[in-house]
Amino acid sequence: MNPLLRVHDIGWHIGDVRILQHVSVDVARGEFVALMGRNGAGKSTLLDLVAGLRSPSEGVIALEGRSISEWSARDLARTMSHLPQMVHAEGAFSAEELVLMGRYPHSGNWIESAGDRQAAQRAMTRCGCLQFRQRRLSTLSGGERQRVLLAACLAQEPKLLLLDEPATFLDIDQQLQCFSMLREEAARGAACIAVTHDINLALTFCTRLLVLAEKTVATDASIEAAVENPAWLSLFSPRLEVTRTPAGRPWISYA
Amino acid sequence: MSHPEHRSAQRWIAGSALAFGVAAVILPLAGPAPLDLGRAWAGEEPDWSILVYLRVSRTLLGLFGGAALALAGSLFQAMLRDALATPYTLGVSTGASLGAVIAIALGWHVVAGVPGVWAGALAGAAVVLLLIVVAATRQRQVSALGLLLAGVATNSVCSALILLVHGLAGMSDSFAISRWLIGSLDSVEYPPLLAYICVVVMLAAVIGRQARQWNLLAVGEAWAATRGARVTPLLFAGYTSGSILAATTVALTGPIGFIGLVVPHVVRTRVSADDRVLMPCSFFLGGVLLASCDAIGRVILAPAEVPAGAITALIGGPYLVWLVRHRM
Repeated sequence: MNPLLRVHDIGWHIGDVRILQHVSVDVARGEFVALMGRNGAGKSTLLDLVAGLRSPSEGVIALEGRSISEWSARDLARTMSHLPQMVHAEGAFSAEELVLMGRYPHSGNWIESAGDRQAAQRAMTRCGCLQFRQRRLSTLSGGERQRVLLAACLAQEPKLLLLDEPATFLDIDQQLQCFSMLREEAARGAACIAVTHDINLALTFCTRLLVLAEKTVATDASIEAAVENPAWLSLFSPRLEVTRTPAGRPWISYA
Repeated sequence: MSHPEHRSAQRWIAGSALAFGVAAVILPLAGPAPLDLGRAWAGEEPDWSILVYLRVSRTLLGLFGGAALALAGSLFQAMLRDALATPYTLGVSTGASLGAVIAIALGWHVVAGVPGVWAGALAGAAVVLLLIVVAATRQRQVSALGLLLAGVATNSVCSALILLVHGLAGMSDSFAISRWLIGSLDSVEYPPLLAYICVVVMLAAVIGRQARQWNLLAVGEAWAATRGARVTPLLFAGYTSGSILAATTVALTGPIGFIGLVVPHVVRTRVSADDRVLMPCSFFLGGVLLASCDAIGRVILAPAEVPAGAITALIGGPYLVWLVRHRM
């Protein structure tokens, strides 16, 4: 059986500058992958490549066994959703209008159906932003807007969620809610790949850790294995170590 | 369609369409010369000719010209994610003006069967569009910021060239150029007017049908692409149809600013940013605004005429400032 996502030996360069090489990773349904690495490691580039926003210079990316270059834009958008790092969402759209945009791949009709509206409402409820559905994005705080963007991704009802720093601008409670919601999405059978810089958030909620360094995959391990063998921590900083909380959960501290 | 926002949106669209229709009926009655409708209806001269060949044609030009400019404005604003973008920002309209001015200076009355000013305007807009797209394209991706920068630069160059052509032109050509550059509505003959209306209506239908995709683009190109829009063909269609709208309008009316900026802005703040509502409302209200400004210009200092372009700027400018002060 094919994995949901297969990234096979891909590389990407811009001009003479190589950003990624020999990257291979398979992601199955139910997995919640933390995509980590230092600034400029190529995390966003990898996510953009998987989303089909850029074409790999080498290698193949396949979704459900079929290369994404063979997919139509609309079919692709029905199967995966991508939350870019930067969006121009400070405009005059209302929160609900933005979330409803996630329904576009499901029907190109001029007006969204009642089903589309229900899907948008469900997504907004899950992301805790239904109460400001009528408000314009320009009146929302950074964290509120981020929740609306997340809801727009969920409203697409994708099998694969690609999220570039979904916890940006969120307060700690909202970060926890965001990551536990993504964990639930994975438990329901979706696959999530989230770029994050918060190692503890990754260890607490994700099922798998993927670290990019030196233009390729430096570490690819389940969270349990990563805690067991924490050599990868030195990729981030020499000052990190695994400790345990009083409840016995692994916790990364810094000295 | 039971959603409350839908109803309010429908009311706005229907209301602005109604205003458009009402303007088409009422505005031809405004003008310096007295008009006896009964005589005009009976086909008696000169009332019949004043009504049909001067006032109605001019009102239609105002309605569809204003509609085209406002729609083009809202389209460019979505594609460039910049509330200040219009075909003027990108230099397309100024390029069209330059082409028209060159045609006047060189005395091209008819080129390939179309009036020289039209041919000049279309060619000018096409050249500018090509230039800025080439300048802003890197690795087969057109950068919105690149387009804006290249557009601002091209705009200045075209303005300078217009001054140059103006200065070098002979006395009578120079007068014709000045008159044209003010931006005013004049009576047009029906065949070109009807052709123009057909172009505007067809392009409006093409643009309006893709309103949900313009919404996606207004958030971001990556956003649109990962929601199933085919961004490159979409941008190509948008820039081409927006430029044709701008160029054909400039050809018939001269450069008229502010409609493309102020109308979409007002609709966006007052009604909705959703292009399914924004675009039709801007279209109809832009037409009403330009045709009304022209009607005001005909009567306010009669028998002298104030050009519609001057009135739109005089009303639109202060209103925009007021809106910014009170809504931000």
